[in-house]
Amino acid sequence: MKKNLFKSMILALMAVFAVNMASAQQPHVYINPGHGGYDSDDRNMVIYPFVQGDSAGSWESKSNLRKGLALREILQKKGYKTSISRVTNTTADDLALSTIVALCNQSGADVFYSVHSNATGTSARTNFPMVFYRGYTGSPQIANADVLAADLEPYLYASQNTVWTHNYQIWGDWSFRPEWGTQGYGVLRGNRAVANLSEGSFHDYIPEAYRLLSFYYCWMEGWNISLGADKYFGRLNNYNLGVVTGNVRDDRIKRLQECAQPFLVYGDDNLMPIHNATVRLLDAAGNEVQQCVTDTLRNGIYVFKYVTPGTYTVEVSTPKHFTQTKTVTVTANAPTYQNFYLKRVRDTPPEVLEYSPVWNEGDPAVKCSTPIVLTFNWDMDSVTTCGAFTLDPPVEGNFKWEDSYHRLVFTPVDAFDVSTLYTMTLKKSAEHGGGTPMVEDFTMQFLTQPRNHLAELAVFPYEGAQVHYKTPTVELRVDSLLDSYNLFQRLRVLDNEGNELDWNKRSIKYNKRGDAYGFVRIPLVKDIEVGKDYRLILDVDIADTAGIHLPATRIINFTGVDAGADKPGMEVVEGFESTDGFSVMENPTYYTESKITASTDRLFGNKSLQFAYVYNFDIEYYGRSQGFIFDEAPAVKFSRGDTLGIHVWGDMSYNIPSVILSIPCDGYSYVWPIELGEINFHGWRYLEIPLDLPADSTFQLYGFSIRHNHPLMGKSGGTIKLDNLLKKASSGIDETRLADMKVNVAGDYIVVSADTWVQGVELIDVNGRTVKAAGGNCLNVADVDHGIYIVRVHINGQTATHKVRL
Amino acid sequence: MKKLFLFMLAVALALPAMAQEVEVVSKQRLLEGVEGPAYYPVLNPTGDRLLFSAEDGALKLHDFADGVTTVVTRDYVAGNDACFGGDNKVYFVTQQMGEDHLIYRTGQCFDVLTRQAAVVTPSQHGAVHAVPATRGGALRAPQQNYDSSANIGEAVWTEESRVHVIVDGKERVFSPVDSWAGYLWASLSPDGKRVAFFAAGKGIVIIDLRGQMLAMLGNYEMPCWYNNDYLVAQNAKDDGHQFTSSQLLLLKADGTWQAELTKPVSMAMHPTCGGGKIVYSTIDGLLYEMKINIHE
Repeated sequence: MKKNLFKSMILALMAVFAVNMASAQQPHVYINPGHGGYDSDDRNMVIYPFVQGDSAGSWESKSNLRKGLALREILQKKGYKTSISRVTNTTADDLALSTIVALCNQSGADVFYSVHSNATGTSARTNFPMVFYRGYTGSPQIANADVLAADLEPYLYASQNTVWTHNYQIWGDWSFRPEWGTQGYGVLRGNRAVANLSEGSFHDYIPEAYRLLSFYYCWMEGWNISLGADKYFGRLNNYNLGVVTGNVRDDRIKRLQECAQPFLVYGDDNLMPIHNATVRLLDAAGNEVQQCVTDTLRNGIYVFKYVTPGTYTVEVSTPKHFTQTKTVTVTANAPTYQNFYLKRVRDTPPEVLEYSPVWNEGDPAVKCSTPIVLTFNWDMDSVTTCGAFTLDPPVEGNFKWEDSYHRLVFTPVDAFDVSTLYTMTLKKSAEHGGGTPMVEDFTMQFLTQPRNHLAELAVFPYEGAQVHYKTPTVELRVDSLLDSYNLFQRLRVLDNEGNELDWNKRSIKYNKRGDAYGFVRIPLVKDIEVGKDYRLILDVDIADTAGIHLPATRIINFTGVDAGADKPGMEVVEGFESTDGFSVMENPTYYTESKITASTDRLFGNKSLQFAYVYNFDIEYYGRSQGFIFDEAPAVKFSRGDTLGIHVWGDMSYNIPSVILSIPCDGYSYVWPIELGEINFHGWRYLEIPLDLPADSTFQLYGFSIRHNHPLMGKSGGTIKLDNLLKKASSGIDETRLADMKVNVAGDYIVVSADTWVQGVELIDVNGRTVKAAGGNCLNVADVDHGIYIVRVHINGQTATHKVRL
Repeated sequence: MKKLFLFMLAVALALPAMAQEVEVVSKQRLLEGVEGPAYYPVLNPTGDRLLFSAEDGALKLHDFADGVTTVVTRDYVAGNDACFGGDNKVYFVTQQMGEDHLIYRTGQCFDVLTRQAAVVTPSQHGAVHAVPATRGGALRAPQQNYDSSANIGEAVWTEESRVHVIVDGKERVFSPVDSWAGYLWASLSPDGKRVAFFAAGKGIVIIDLRGQMLAMLGNYEMPCWYNNDYLVAQNAKDDGHQFTSSQLLLLKADGTWQAELTKPVSMAMHPTCGGGKIVYSTIDGLLYEMKINIHE
């Protein structure tokens, strides 16, 4: 026992001695290039010219491996012991996370770097380095993992080969991913080395995706990670070679947007990276020490590796640019960054190669939305070129440069005036990027068409509309076919708190070629609230396929209502619960395609009655009206002064429906149509009509018809649905009119006019109750509920009554 | 006719395999309400003692017989690679950070009877591993090894892409399959005749004691011998950052059959076998004991 205790004490002392006597042993770094292969979890960024899945394209697995191999090479040169989890980019090398951890643990490594790049996972684009260790931020589970991270990140962030959008970040993975609990990143879990997972940059920032295709760029990340290791192990002074690296860009030509979707760029990434630039490192005597050539993968990166400290000249040349040189000083075990911005050789004066619109006397006039486009032989100087641009007559507009200042686009703020001859002159003072002006002025002319704005034919909801709350449908109709691209983004519905309501985009309907007018029809996803006010905003950018847009942004106010709300005092005459008892009006000569069906889209009961009607325009008379009849009229009769109400589902056909009443007369039925007004709405609506029937006659329900009304809309027919038809018996107050008396509802007022003195006006509801009264001929009814009322006018000692709808 | 015969033969051969099935007889939480999250369980060969790593990293020993749990060490990482020797002692490694930021590792032995730990290899830089042996245990280290006795019996372990086998006091080294990244998780079958290990990128490999490859069981991890004919292994999937599924599989050692013991969504990990039991942890540190019946 004593012997064993003594032995243990000796060994423990040896342990303390070994730890404190900081040996000169090799640090051991385990490198894990993240992911592996070209599979779905290997982060393929689809960038031009590569297609999805092309192994030559941008893959995180591939760039991680390049960084990892570079790090291994550099660390070995610096005297480290290294292990690496993979050396090829295959699916078989994509080791499971537990395996990677176990391999690192078995290796006895001192530190572990898992090398990755990041992605936002959203449409946002950003670029900065991040590093993670296991545990909460500031409380690493393995001691010193936070120190290792803090030693690494400044070296990554110091890189001037990229464009950073934010400062670097260091996180404990439990803090960064609280939703994962303490599970954390798989390669840090159970790892006994001082372990970091480094996200060197963001590969979904497109210019970075191109840089990550560069061997040089990946090598530099490996170099910078090695500096982090050197710092951690106190070995920064142990290595005597340096690195020169940088980015070669054009000094003003813009980077091309070559991918399928436009991508965000920041800072110097706006400038075109230069391909095949020859970069030479020259010593003080002018002797070439190293040479490299930038690749053709849209990154412009160069690197001179393992350079002896000293002063050098870096020379960059391409056939299309002026050669540029810069002096650099290389220090041991440090990167020297030197970026280049090359000036293009422009050896001829600028001139307009192409222009648009091309118009000559006698040609058709051009659309008023047509932009003026000038294409030049060189990239132009923006200030002198835009300053040299004149239009007669002058038009306010915006300049936009395309194709790296080779193409100038002038777009009028609104539109060119109609039927106007414009003269555009570009004075010879316009210069190209090298400062040489044009030799002579350039002039062109064009005549505009007589139309310069999109005309609104109809819109629902219209101003002040009462819209049934159930997933309302919005429709805009204009005088030419709309450009459907992202059209739903240019219509918005906001509630009275400014919250934007979502469209049901799957149900959107657009115009198609051959339609008589342009339209977009789209329902909301959710119901609106009854009694709440809303705004429909039609953006000025809503344009037709020729780019002709609305004259201005329109804001339309409407209110949510329940069309099926209780109607006090009304009795149900017909519920339309079944198709039984209704027959489509037949034409004795021509077959009608109109149909009556029962619909589950209803306000009351189980069904509504759906009438899908078809107009045949070959038949002048019968083709313009369709209808159905009651096989047997309901018992309830209608008389003068009664009110008829009906719930109608409209399709914005602009056709005019009528309830047809009838009265027997000499063995025939004398019919009396009650027009319900234009179907200028979508969805359910309650329509109420005061019946101005002949006195002393009793009418019964006969049928229903709908006639074509608008020259463009509803021509072929439509669909209408009907639910509860109601009646309210006359209040007993009948209209008694006086000659020359007129009652107008004008906005918020009822205004009575007559040839003589109007003493006062009363407003009486259908129950005979006076709702409001005023002396004189005006009555403010802004605060009166909508509905049918009787206006009682006191005029020159007499009393007259008049029915109005508010 | 020849084809018909071959088909019938194939059906006849397939029938026994199809008839084979495994029944999970029981599955119960271990140390529920007693211990917090627990990871990296290791059963002793008779299944009556269990090592595990607690949430705070401490290596603990649970005795099923008396229900007592003992702290072996509070060193954070000791539980990741601890093992029972054939002498029922616990062999494990602790690590210390040097001023030079190198990691120094110390081999230790814990006597379960006296509940005392002793340093058996000095602190040294590099890989130090506890190795179970049939008659004791060992610590393999770059500068100074430790064997619990002159003849520790049979032992197997891996280093890089090599599997080391000690039989009859002789150490042999085999590399029967190519694996760039290395071998892991070597273990000896209960009858001492076969070795299972994991070759990164290839999967579980079964060899005999002469290094002859007998079977490859698929790309699963952490194999442990359930008995002489079957192993339990982890089948985990990930997206490169985190685990997306993990389950336990029962694998026949000759590579002819396998079955699920848990569903992929069970997130079951780190299986260990002993005394007819299977113990595993889940990703969030719940320990389970499972018993199975294999119907052949």
